Amino acid sequence: MIEIKNLNKYFYKGEERELHALRDVNFEIEKGEFALLSGPSGCGKTTLLNAIGALDSIDSGEIWLEKREIGTLDEDERTKIRLNEMGFVFQAYNLIPVLNVEENIGFIMKLRGFKDEEIKKRVLEVATLLEIQNKLHAMPATLSGGEQQRVAVARAVAPKPKIILADEPTANLDSKNSKALMDMMKSLNEKEGISILFASHDEYVMASVRRTIKMNDGAIVES
Amino acid sequence: MYKLIIKLAFNNAFIRLSRTILVVIMIAVSMSMMISLQGLYDGMVLSMVDKTKRSDSGEVSLYNKEYRVSKALSDNITNATQIKEELLKRQDVNAVVQRLEADGLSATAKKSAFSTIIGIDLNTEEKFGGFSEFLKPQGELRLDKRGVLLGSELAKTLKIRIGSKVIFSTQDATGEINAIALRVRGIIQTNNISLDASALYVDAKVLAKFLGVSQNVATQIAIRSDSPTLKTELTQKYPDLDVKSFLELYPMMKQMQEIMVIFNSITFFIVMMVVFIGIMGVMYVSILDRIREFGIMRSIGMSYSLIRSQIFLEALFVGVLGYLLGAVLGYGALYYLENYGLDLSEFADGLESFGYSSIIYATTKVSYFSSTFLAIVGASLLSVLLPLRKIKKMNTIEVTKVDI
Repeated sequence: MIEIKNLNKYFYKGEERELHALRDVNFEIEKGEFALLSGPSGCGKTTLLNAIGALDSIDSGEIWLEKREIGTLDEDERTKIRLNEMGFVFQAYNLIPVLNVEENIGFIMKLRGFKDEEIKKRVLEVATLLEIQNKLHAMPATLSGGEQQRVAVARAVAPKPKIILADEPTANLDSKNSKALMDMMKSLNEKEGISILFASHDEYVMASVRRTIKMNDGAIVES
Repeated sequence: MYKLIIKLAFNNAFIRLSRTILVVIMIAVSMSMMISLQGLYDGMVLSMVDKTKRSDSGEVSLYNKEYRVSKALSDNITNATQIKEELLKRQDVNAVVQRLEADGLSATAKKSAFSTIIGIDLNTEEKFGGFSEFLKPQGELRLDKRGVLLGSELAKTLKIRIGSKVIFSTQDATGEINAIALRVRGIIQTNNISLDASALYVDAKVLAKFLGVSQNVATQIAIRSDSPTLKTELTQKYPDLDVKSFLELYPMMKQMQEIMVIFNSITFFIVMMVVFIGIMGVMYVSILDRIREFGIMRSIGMSYSLIRSQIFLEALFVGVLGYLLGAVLGYGALYYLENYGLDLSEFADGLESFGYSSIIYATTKVSYFSSTFLAIVGASLLSVLLPLRKIKKMNTIEVTKVDI
């Protein structure tokens, strides 16, 4: 479903290349995978995740999402890809503070033009799977960290994207919430068939995934 | 979709309530003051125009072709009464007066001044321009055989009070110097500078007899009318007469109107700059506060154009709310100033010497509100261009990284 070919990414200081962040990265993610990018801090996990998620540009190589090369698209095209094909879960939850839980979960579906009844039904379905169905009218600021992260997962899952990219989703959660979140995401992966790619070095994540792609110094060392 | 954008904009516009309220109040107060000033400026000019028309020119005046240059009694309209009757039969004419004027010298025992004696009929002047409203307190509106009503500035020059005697001398129709002794019955203040400084109003019949001319003779026929084509029609009908519009007789009034438009424009510009800077400040700070939120929106696929619409709407909410409050305050202020006026009696001497009343009444025009609305909408939209640049240039990855 996703194929990365000879991907290179540099960080620049002015016009000078300061860091070779991704070095000839090659790997594939199949449909329905539940995989992890792991490696020490600064090895390039988040950079790779951002590149796959069309959040960041690349210097060379190719990123194929099904039959479309997305590595060379302009910002507007990348925005459309993010909206229609991807789901994101960030370390810092990143909910929209002025919208309640229901509106946050349905936000991407709304942007994609789903009908209100359809959104309502799907929001309730996903919220029930993530056990936040009784918090639908709460504002994000009134929720615990674990609940906020479940809302973020629900928002990513609701429009049924091709893949969810989750960057350190458990980093701000305690062990109980981390385990609960991973169990729920695993269940979503199995029930919904959505591919999920994590970037993390959390033991709960490592223990939950079916595949681990190891990175070091910007390169894949084991996939 | 747009319901969501409106909800986002509305909620965000009021997320920092005290800051938003402060900007709304700032817009409302500055806008209401601007509207009040516009009303007062226009009121001042309209009052001058109105008083000048009522006391002298009407909308259109007729003269002998030579009179306005020669000012000679011989250059008169000989069949004035007949013309007046013809004019009064027209549907588009509201009122007509005929006046007889002669320049001469007014004198008391100690003072003298160049002045103009004007023969009028009080009843027709009342219908023409509410002449009695020009009478200052203490006097009476009565023109008997020796009665005279004096312009207020002329009375000051001659140091004359009600009941004082004044001698007016001039050349009569035969060319002889003649004089008439008159008793002051009242003081007239029209705020028409030239009239107040030189006019002696006497009964038209008394003046005609004194000057030795027929009662059918006039030096001016003034007309009140709402017809915009009257001047053209009268020019064609009376080719032997000099037909002048109000603005031709008082070009200064046109200049004053234009000056007031400039004053209003400057005030308008200053207030709109205040609105612009106010909204821009609040929007800029608000966007910096929420830059991560916009980063999230961009990263999950919200297009820049939707974010731009949201920001425009936020600015519009603040601007339009300020406008609505400002419109209510401004209307209240205008209502008060229109009915009770702004009393500047302390500066009466200065104002009256320029032809202004000491109590200034405002006027209310719909255009004050409509043009302000458009300007506030424009200022609101322009004020977010800089904050929007910030969003356009933000690094989505960097701004979403911020720790919780």
